[in-house]
Amino acid sequence: MDEQQPNSVWTSNSFWKRSAGWVTGFAVVLLMFLTFDTMTQITMGTDQDLKDGITKRVPAATVINYQIGYKMDYSRGHEMPVIGKPELFFGKTWSVKEANQLLNLGKLTEQSKDCMNCHTLLGNGAYYAPDLTKAWLDPMWKKGGVMQLMTHTKTKEEAMAAFLQYPVKYAIHVRKMPNLKITAKEAQGLVALLKQMSSIDTNGFPRGFSRNVQDFKQGVSNAH
Amino acid sequence: MLFEQCTDTSCGNIFAWLNQGPLTLTIAMHLFIILPMIWIYYDEKKKLKK
Repeated sequence: MDEQQPNSVWTSNSFWKRSAGWVTGFAVVLLMFLTFDTMTQITMGTDQDLKDGITKRVPAATVINYQIGYKMDYSRGHEMPVIGKPELFFGKTWSVKEANQLLNLGKLTEQSKDCMNCHTLLGNGAYYAPDLTKAWLDPMWKKGGVMQLMTHTKTKEEAMAAFLQYPVKYAIHVRKMPNLKITAKEAQGLVALLKQMSSIDTNGFPRGFSRNVQDFKQGVSNAH
Repeated sequence: MLFEQCTDTSCGNIFAWLNQGPLTLTIAMHLFIILPMIWIYYDEKKKLKK
C-alpha cells in the first residue's frame, strides 16, 4: 500500500479538511445571522409601541404604567404576558425618562445586592429562593393576598417594596431572605424591574408557573 | 405534525420557522451540513479512483 495515497476516503486528509472547512464555515455564517437576529429580538420596545399596542418581546420601561396579565396561549403552547389597561404605579404615571431611571436603579440594585446569588432572573441565577422572572404575577402579592394583608399595604407594588425593605419582618418561607438594607427608593426600582421583567415574552419560561392544573387547562391567569 | 402554522412573535423570520419543533431544526441542519458532506465524500472517492 502506498503511504502517500490512501485507498479509503476515511483515511484521506483532504476529505476531513474539506468537511471541517464546510462545517466551520457554515457555523460561522449561521452564528453571524443568529447574532443579528437576536439583536432585533431582544431590543427593547418604545413607549410609542406600548401606546400603539405593538407587541415586543421586551417592552419599554414605561410598561410599569400598565396592568400585566398572564394568559395561556394554546397556539404557542405556553403562557405569555398580556399588557392591559393603564394603571398607576406607586400612585403615579411615570414618564419615559422617569421610568427608565427607575428601571436602571432597579437593575443596579439587583446587581449590587446580588439577588442572583439565591434567586433566578430570566434563567440566570440560583434556585435557593423563588424564581423572580414572573414574581410580579405571583398571586400572593394580589389584592387581599397574604403579602398585602401582612404589610398593611393597598397595592401590589407597595407590598413588594415593603417586603424588600423588611424581609426578615415579613418572612413567610423557611428559607428567610436576609435584610439587605434596601432603601425605599431602591425598593421602588426593584419592583419596577420585577414588573417590567414579568412583561417580557420569555417563551413560557419558567415552565408551569401556573399553580394548579385546573387553572392551566382553563387558560386563566393566576395573576389576578 | 412536522410543519405547523407559525405562531412565534416574528413569523417573517426564517429562524422562527426552523424553531417550530425539534425535528424541523434537525432535518434542516442535516440538509445543510450532512448532505454536502456526503457530496464531499463521493467527490473524494472519485478523485482517489483516478
